[in-house]
Amino acid sequence: MRTHLGLIVSAAVALSAAGAAQDKQQAPDKKFVDARGNVKPVPLPPGGAAPRMSDGHVDLSGVWFAGPTGKANAWSVVPDQPLKEEPVPFQPAAAAKMNAMTRTERELNSPGVRCQPVGTPGMWTINPYPHQIVMKPGLFVHLIESDNAWSVVHTDARPHKKADDLEPLYNGDQTAHWEGDTLVIDTISLDERTWINQSGWFHSDQVHVIERLRRPSMNYLEYQYTVEDAKVLTKPWTSAWRTYSLGKEDLTENFCTNNENVEQLEKLRDAGPGK
Amino acid sequence: MKSSLGTLAAILFCAAPAWAHHSFAAEFDATRCSDITGVLTKVAYENPHSYVWVDVKDASGKPVSNTFQLSSPSNLKRGGATYGVLNGSVGKEVLVRGCASRNGEANRYAASFIKLPDATIQRVGQDVEGIFGTKIWR
Repeated sequence: MRTHLGLIVSAAVALSAAGAAQDKQQAPDKKFVDARGNVKPVPLPPGGAAPRMSDGHVDLSGVWFAGPTGKANAWSVVPDQPLKEEPVPFQPAAAAKMNAMTRTERELNSPGVRCQPVGTPGMWTINPYPHQIVMKPGLFVHLIESDNAWSVVHTDARPHKKADDLEPLYNGDQTAHWEGDTLVIDTISLDERTWINQSGWFHSDQVHVIERLRRPSMNYLEYQYTVEDAKVLTKPWTSAWRTYSLGKEDLTENFCTNNENVEQLEKLRDAGPGK
Repeated sequence: MKSSLGTLAAILFCAAPAWAHHSFAAEFDATRCSDITGVLTKVAYENPHSYVWVDVKDASGKPVSNTFQLSSPSNLKRGGATYGVLNGSVGKEVLVRGCASRNGEANRYAASFIKLPDATIQRVGQDVEGIFGTKIWR
């Protein structure tokens, strides 16, 4: 597990490197717009040991923002650092299907653009807004701002439902268990309308998602996911750990009620090839 | 344009959690951005995107309505562009930095900032031009 100090050093190095790269791109006389709302990223300190519940397991409860600042980073003035991950091992037919989509088609096919439920693991990989986790021994509750979605998972290592009782669901059939201080959430029976992430990574009815959550210190949460899908991938794929940090704000209501983007994108698609 | 493997890889490796729910680049043209000044007439503080409308006088002096897509209320309110701040400027002159729609629809833009009547420059969208110090192309 990454140490607290390691996390901060890594964040500092990443920010420093980003700043240096940014400086190189800037013309000497370049003057940037200083707008209210811009975020200058300052990583949170580790904040001490992670809290524990009455059963001794780590309590993951809190409001969590992507990145190290404990607040929204959509308007950070330092560019995101790409995650170092292995290429996703798509089967040739799956890669061809994804690459056949134009940029406009990818948008139009995206559950996120159409305001559809983002599902599993989309609650982490597609939702751009903060998360709230509420835990008690034996139960994990995950709330996100995107369309006010939620999932509730038992953490007592119970088995999945019997095959006859399964149905395709956006969040799937979920169960969880602890491996040391890491909560492992196991999901099957996912609705094929969901995507793994915003890239157009579709999945089959055989997909199996394993998500891992850990809290290395009070102020930090880390998330990783593995995807197994014998119909789409040549082998399982595991993401890098993603960093989230503890916020002091409540989630805000976020129902998707005014989606004009589909209509606009359809006009673009109808304009013909090259769009 | 067919997406290349490189494009796909770039999308897959991007730090996903910071994404908006859809790509600016698919709908708007970051090479056709300009400052547009006029009277703020209406605010729609809604998801997945908020909108503002600004009347701009044409050559004959007739007001023409321009539509600006902003970020989501979640991003706006956390960045200071609260419902009250935007609505408080209705009926007043503002300057909006907007990038034109790629589908050719006239007077439709995505906005990155609004200069409010009190001269505050308020961030309301992605930095697709790099004017805030980043170059985010999504």
